[in-house]
Amino acid sequence: MSIIIPKALLSIWMKLSTNKKLEVGSQKAEDGKRSVSSFSVFCFLSSVLCLLFAIAGCSPKAKVYIQKVKGKDYRLIVEGRPYIVKGVCYNPIPIGKNHEYDWWGDPRKPWLADGKLMQEMGVNTVRLYQAHEDLEKTRTVIRDLYEKFGIRTIIGDWLGFWEYPCPLYGDAGFRARVKKQVLDLVAGLKDEPGVLLWILGNENNYSCMGSVNPWSSEEIDQEPDPQKQKALRARTYYGFVNDIAREIHKLDRDHPVALGNGELAGLEYANQAAPDVDLVACIIYRGKTFGNLFRSLRMTFDKPLLLSEFGADAYDAYLKKEDQNMQAFFLESQWRQVYENLAGQKQGAGNCLGGTLFEWTDEWWKHNQDSPDGWAAQDTGAGWSSGSYYFDIQAPGNKNMNEEWFGIVALSQDPEGGLDIRTPRKAYYVIREFWKNPSEKAKVKNKKAKPQGKI
Amino acid sequence: MKKLVMLLAAAALAMPVKIMAEEKAMETTPKEFVVYSDKGNRSNHYIPSGWMGDYGDIKMNDQAAESPKTGTTSIQFTYSAKRTQNQGWAGIYWQNPANNWGNKKGGFDLTGMNKLTFWARGAKGGEVLQKVIVGGIKGTYPDTANVEMGPVELTDTWKQYTVNLSGKDLSYINGGFGWATTADLNPDGAVFYIDDIKYEADPALKPETKKQEAMPFYIYSDRSSAKNHFIPSGWMGDYGDIKYDGSSKEDPYLGDTCVRIIYNGQKAQGSGWAGIFWQNPANNWGTIDAGFDLSKGTKLTFWARGAKGGERIEEFKVGGIMGEFSDSDSAVIGPVVLEKEWKQYTIDLKGKDMSYIIGGFCWSANVDNNPEGATFYLDEIKYE
Repeated sequence: MSIIIPKALLSIWMKLSTNKKLEVGSQKAEDGKRSVSSFSVFCFLSSVLCLLFAIAGCSPKAKVYIQKVKGKDYRLIVEGRPYIVKGVCYNPIPIGKNHEYDWWGDPRKPWLADGKLMQEMGVNTVRLYQAHEDLEKTRTVIRDLYEKFGIRTIIGDWLGFWEYPCPLYGDAGFRARVKKQVLDLVAGLKDEPGVLLWILGNENNYSCMGSVNPWSSEEIDQEPDPQKQKALRARTYYGFVNDIAREIHKLDRDHPVALGNGELAGLEYANQAAPDVDLVACIIYRGKTFGNLFRSLRMTFDKPLLLSEFGADAYDAYLKKEDQNMQAFFLESQWRQVYENLAGQKQGAGNCLGGTLFEWTDEWWKHNQDSPDGWAAQDTGAGWSSGSYYFDIQAPGNKNMNEEWFGIVALSQDPEGGLDIRTPRKAYYVIREFWKNPSEKAKVKNKKAKPQGKI
Repeated sequence: MKKLVMLLAAAALAMPVKIMAEEKAMETTPKEFVVYSDKGNRSNHYIPSGWMGDYGDIKMNDQAAESPKTGTTSIQFTYSAKRTQNQGWAGIYWQNPANNWGNKKGGFDLTGMNKLTFWARGAKGGEVLQKVIVGGIKGTYPDTANVEMGPVELTDTWKQYTVNLSGKDLSYINGGFGWATTADLNPDGAVFYIDDIKYEADPALKPETKKQEAMPFYIYSDRSSAKNHFIPSGWMGDYGDIKYDGSSKEDPYLGDTCVRIIYNGQKAQGSGWAGIFWQNPANNWGTIDAGFDLSKGTKLTFWARGAKGGERIEEFKVGGIMGEFSDSDSAVIGPVVLEKEWKQYTIDLKGKDMSYIIGGFCWSANVDNNPEGATFYLDEIKYE
């Protein structure tokens, strides 16, 4: 339904609403009479407009929302303007510390140094996986990044994924507690101008398949067919996410809610169980190409896509040395595909909103997480294998993914004990140039894969 | 007048010189490069020295006088399929110099050629070469091209076969020609003849365009079926726990054989799981540009049964190999608990991009759900 507001009425309202002399509570005696009468007119017209909006069932646009373009493409609108998410995942753990370190309370405020570097690169968004339990600390970071550098924040929540012994998504008590936690977070931060959107979960869908943090319920235990068990878990989990998304929408009309998901696994169930999420935020590690990802999402769960985690490490596990060129090659190729699939692009799927690459700085604690000694050294051990990152796939055991080397900014210790020194890698500059001119041809050339040995 | 006569004479003398120069140019651009024409022929190049797989199963007579295609000899190969080296396949590369697996320089620059042709026949007809190969030798001095064609089912009369090399970089070819075949494709062995192997320059030949494969497209029909595609070469996880028999006669669903897989769950490599990818070509983890275009397929179907019933397979999958040449998509079903009787399973491919598939089929199982291991059977695996 649409309504037509008379132009004259609108212009009077606009004029009145912007006339500083007519502000409520103006005490200037000389303008007193006029102020009172004008104020009455303003109130009357405002009431009329509100009434018209209410009758029409439409309300002022949200600060951040997703717009459908040409009936099929999706784009993000922020403060009335199209917004491509040019982001980084942000978790600035310093050398010598692990994930338990409270960087939010670091008096050196690492986000200020990082925000400046990000701004120079063209980053407009950071993704935080989880807010600090002290929302005031979170607020400070969001506000600093936005007010000083114009960088918006995506705030995520693990949805209890790492709770011991497992995330009990089939348990009413667990669900109620996690839901309250998320709604408290949203209520506390929704009015921060720097907030971009919310992400619920990360790779929690893998728990439905039993591959990570498996969980069950009485109903699931009674089902003998493992395929049906998987389906039951997926419906339960995505239904839970949907419930939270719906409640967030009641609380906060200004920010979209994303479903965090590992790859596209399980989204055929989300299609039925989670209609109220606004977009999907996927974690994807597929090397130089995302393959059929964008079109495949259209087939399984036609929602906008944010690539909320993707990237490449900067360490060649085969040659055992840092390789910034390799990282830059993959990242440029990945960003190129992100842009090819934005709304309005002829060749792409038109459903991509942008991405937050993994990650801003290296994290030195990740390989040997249980060994504090290892947190102070950048470990060159690889934790997992992916043939998609083929330059170093011949590393022993095919393990070529080096968790401590994913940053596009390298860290080194400040001899004077200050904030770790930030040194941008080649990928930083390559992406910066790509964002400036996305239509330019690739600058980092492919290189030949290593010889494979005798046939 | 004298001047004119001299000019005419000079022109008359110059014309034959120009014609001779053109002929010379033609001569310097060869139209063919011979690998084998007859035993001892001076135009032959490369040596059939690269014996692979079950090399003990192969006998070669490079001066077979019995009905050569041309000249006085052809090459006779006798493949016994006895699996002497326990590989289940065998083949021969023609190399330069002999036994050069890319460790020394020796490749020829065949730029200008755009096809390889050879003549072949079987002793009985029905013998199957899994593939013929041009290039593909790696090592320190790798070939600049790697082209395969096959399978080739021979007839009992001479027939010419062509490998299209248009658009390929032939500037360094050490593996001039090769063939390979398997015991499954030739369970009773094979005797076959090859003659007149040569590279040619054919100006009319165009580069091969990628074709969409016709359906049904078989992965496994029967052990010796030339319709089979992909090789069950991608053994993963606890590969030491797996025994694969591609010619089991234990109650096949259709035809005379099926696939039997024994997974003993002993954690030979300590992984706690195991699986096999059917790949093209063998052992291709996305390093070789050799995907099939299976866009016409809307599903993959297969029949399966467990030896006892209750064996749990975590995943049956198509696609999903990631590398420099990644599969264009993937689709999966599972976990599947097998029954004792044959049952057909389907992997839905609607909406999937099947335009480039290296990993045609895959299964994986784990010891947690099969503590006693699992023996199961597969048959009639095909895209439809």
